[in-house]
Amino acid sequence: MIKKSGIGIAALTLSLLAGVMPARADFWSDAGAKYKGVVLRGVTESTPPSNYIKDVLAPEFEKKTGIKVQIETTSWDQMYDKAIKDMEAKTGIYDMVYIEQDIIYAYLARNFLVDISKSLKDDPSLKAPEFDETHFTTFANYFKNASGDLFGIPMEAFIKVYLYRTDLFSDPKIKEAFKKETGKELAPAKTHQEYTQIADFFTKYGKDSGMELWGTTAQAHTGHPASWYEFFESIAPTYGLYNWGIDAKNNYAASVANGGQMNSDKAKAAMKYWLHLRDIAPPESAASTWTEVGTTFAAGRVAQGLVYGENAAWIASDAEKSKVVGKVGVALPPTEPDVLKEVEAGKGYLGYYDGGAFGLPVTSKNKQAALLFLQFIGEDSVQPDWAVAAPRITNTATYDDPKVVAMDKKLNGYYTMLKDQGKLFAGAPPFPFHAQVREATAPIFYKILLGEVGPDEGLDQMAAAAEAELKNLGYRK
Amino acid sequence: MRSNTVGWLMLAPTIAILGIFGIIPFIYVLYVSFHQWNPFGASPDMIYNGANNFRRLVFDAEFLTSIAFTMKFAFFAVISEVALGYLLAQLFMKEFPGRGFFRTIHTLPLIVAPIVVGSVWRLMTTPSIGIIPYLLKSWFGYDLNIGRDATAAFALTVIMDIWHWTPLVTLTLLAALLALPKEPFEQAQIDGANRRQIFWHVTLPMIRPAILATVFIRLMDALRTVDEVWMLTSGGPGAATRYVGLHIWKIVFPKTDYGYGAAISVIVLYLTLVMCWLLYVALVARRERKRTF
Amino acid sequence: MRSGNPLLYLALWFFLSLLTLFPIYWLFVVSVKPAVDLFTTPSVILDAIYWKNYVNVINNETLRGYMINSLIISTTNALLVTALAFLACYALSRFELAGKENIFFWTITNRMAPAAVFLLPFYLLFTQVFTFGDWKLYDTKIGMILLYCTFNLPFAIWTLRPTIDGIPKELDEAATVDGASTWQVIYEVIFPLARPGLAVTLILTWVFAWNEFLLAATLTSFNARTITTGLSEYVTTTGTEWGAMAAIAVITLIPALIIFAVVQRHIVAGLTFGAVKE
Repeated sequence: MIKKSGIGIAALTLSLLAGVMPARADFWSDAGAKYKGVVLRGVTESTPPSNYIKDVLAPEFEKKTGIKVQIETTSWDQMYDKAIKDMEAKTGIYDMVYIEQDIIYAYLARNFLVDISKSLKDDPSLKAPEFDETHFTTFANYFKNASGDLFGIPMEAFIKVYLYRTDLFSDPKIKEAFKKETGKELAPAKTHQEYTQIADFFTKYGKDSGMELWGTTAQAHTGHPASWYEFFESIAPTYGLYNWGIDAKNNYAASVANGGQMNSDKAKAAMKYWLHLRDIAPPESAASTWTEVGTTFAAGRVAQGLVYGENAAWIASDAEKSKVVGKVGVALPPTEPDVLKEVEAGKGYLGYYDGGAFGLPVTSKNKQAALLFLQFIGEDSVQPDWAVAAPRITNTATYDDPKVVAMDKKLNGYYTMLKDQGKLFAGAPPFPFHAQVREATAPIFYKILLGEVGPDEGLDQMAAAAEAELKNLGYRK
Repeated sequence: MRSNTVGWLMLAPTIAILGIFGIIPFIYVLYVSFHQWNPFGASPDMIYNGANNFRRLVFDAEFLTSIAFTMKFAFFAVISEVALGYLLAQLFMKEFPGRGFFRTIHTLPLIVAPIVVGSVWRLMTTPSIGIIPYLLKSWFGYDLNIGRDATAAFALTVIMDIWHWTPLVTLTLLAALLALPKEPFEQAQIDGANRRQIFWHVTLPMIRPAILATVFIRLMDALRTVDEVWMLTSGGPGAATRYVGLHIWKIVFPKTDYGYGAAISVIVLYLTLVMCWLLYVALVARRERKRTF
Repeated sequence: MRSGNPLLYLALWFFLSLLTLFPIYWLFVVSVKPAVDLFTTPSVILDAIYWKNYVNVINNETLRGYMINSLIISTTNALLVTALAFLACYALSRFELAGKENIFFWTITNRMAPAAVFLLPFYLLFTQVFTFGDWKLYDTKIGMILLYCTFNLPFAIWTLRPTIDGIPKELDEAATVDGASTWQVIYEVIFPLARPGLAVTLILTWVFAWNEFLLAATLTSFNARTITTGLSEYVTTTGTEWGAMAAIAVITLIPALIIFAVVQRHIVAGLTFGAVKE
């Protein structure tokens, strides 16, 4: 007893001392001392969250530890190409690589990445006191292997949400007109049928009143994969079609004939629904990627639409970029009637939980120092300011930070939705062959968009093309 | 005759640099083209598969369409650029006030990076909100939608290419015109030839090598175009502007299909080579031989 | 050549310049508008100017570094390439070298390759072959300068050859008879006469090096990055920052214009040589 309390007192004194001296900071300077002079190099895409790492977190880390961090920001394709070349050729240029959620499975399959959980367990001296894997949101689960070990520190996370114009939806004149036309109250859609009805109404309303206003967005570029993504990540799941309709457990079947879903009735229904929306969306939709969808909404040209969360934030809050500041509402994407129940029961997902993490390539020559930096950017304490500068949340505690709560109000509850309903969304399917199957099927997909081939026939062809590519890659036997 | 050693010495640096950065990579790509190699395939290693890649591409409808569209693109773009560039070069041969100023203006498109050229043209042609569709609509009632109209998208890539690269043709042909000796022209004028005769019988034969060089360069570059078209149309609508440079880029970058990409590159290189060789033999080499020997 | 009616030419050039300048004007328009105004009903006339894109770009130290790298790489490369091509063309034109026409044709084949796949061997050469200890050719300016020769040298040789061939051989023979060495012939006879061709070659090789993107993006990462790779950073999966990109593009026109203005004078100077020759 006495001994124990003795220890207790000693611990108390220690912690008091710690309060006087910056003991916490000492971990960083002590740990960093061993790697003074090391220069860490990372490659990432030049998005706001990454730029924050480059401009704020890296210099801060250098001040604390004396380890210099250089972050190369570049375009998406280049970022991948350079990281893959580096790891493939074992050059060891990079100590950190950006891993988008859809490529993690490919990297894991190739053993490109260091197991972060295991490395910290093996060498406890590297473990930062404040860093804790369990502090991450569920999004971190997408960067774990089968046994639950973490391979990437989440650094950005978004969901694709249903945005609508609160000013239009509450305009008495419009509400009345909508009721007269449909016999229903105008409210954010819960089902596809409601969504289509509202979209039809607003497109007609815009036309009749000579306004530049349409009923929906459509990310329906006829040559850019953005349209492929909108269909397979955001539309198809709301029809209960998951994982692109490819069944990994069933010899990677894609066609219904072989046990897949890519050309199922669900897929065909989803396609027709979406094609109709595309037809009543603004004319630029046929040439719209995520960039144009965001700007179309921000310019006030549409009443509602599916918009990526990273854009939803500036659309709702940045007056230099958006004309609809303060007029944006957020809701869950509309679904088929029974799909939401299915999703809530954990049998599917509503839309895409997109984002990325920082990983440590096994070819890195400065693994220990890089582990320190990765923990640093994963700590709770750096998150709130980061979330304000670039709207992303990866740690659970961040939601409750006053700064973030204030911002959530401005965004009309986007963060609350991410927090409460984030679990209904899912990252990309756990396939190691994303871009490969996408590129193999996209040309047919564009033909469907152009009407060169019917949606039913087109989806049949896509399923066949996906299977052929999977066979060619050696996954499908 | 002077010693040829001096001549070889003058050529040596060129041969050395092109040898290292031209031949070695080519051998490597040729080697890869006989393999199945996708780092994200079930087996990430390079597997020798004989001529399978080449067999596959002969029946690859996407590749063949891409080649056909590229040829069409290169044909229209290069012909227009050379004709327009020649006219402009001739105009620059005249004395007029502000010539230097206008020449500088006319070379400006060259210094805009391709990715920016593509971006600006994309912003100018965004359906319904770009300035060009807007003006076409309000002036002529024509609805330009590059997301839906394949012909319009094709035409726009050609126009963009002409805008960007005609200045190059103008400059190279201008240099060739400036280097021409005066006597043949004076002689032709004394002989009473009219302007058309002078063009066909004096100017054209003399600047034929320069025109050929320019056509070669433009043709090759048009076959390799990626950035501008990627930014403007991303290859769409459908496959209408998925030119072979972009097609290869899509196979190599997102798809990481290195083996097949290498095979296509080798074939495209071979096709370009044959095309240029035929042009070269038809237009210059034969005539040169006649003249010198 | 006869000179035409100056007014007519002025009118014609004015019109042509409008066509040439419009996309560049639009680039400027994009650079001085806040993003919110880009996707509204367009207007050819600017009503207000928004400088923030420029302020951001000018204060960005990294971009300044990229710009300097670009200037060093493209200027050195253009000078190197033009000099080497000048020598090569002289050799091809004046010496009876065995198989020279084949060599001439071979040079151009180096420009034909579609770049995407060739990045792989370049990457391996730069990271694993040309290395000395810790030093790699990867991410160095010298590496880019040498690499850009693969597409610029063939171009330079092919544009210069007609010029050199066009200079009458009698001129060098006369100089040789007067006792000039080969180098003196090149420097004193050929060089002045080839000036317009050399100036054009210099300008255009500079342009190609200045605008090159794919090779620079793959083979540099921190120390030798060029401004075109900087531009591509504004095209992201979350959206494209048109305004900032346009502002950089407009700023990069300035050094290019200065270099053009300096070199272009030699294209004019070439005009007078007809008289010298008589």
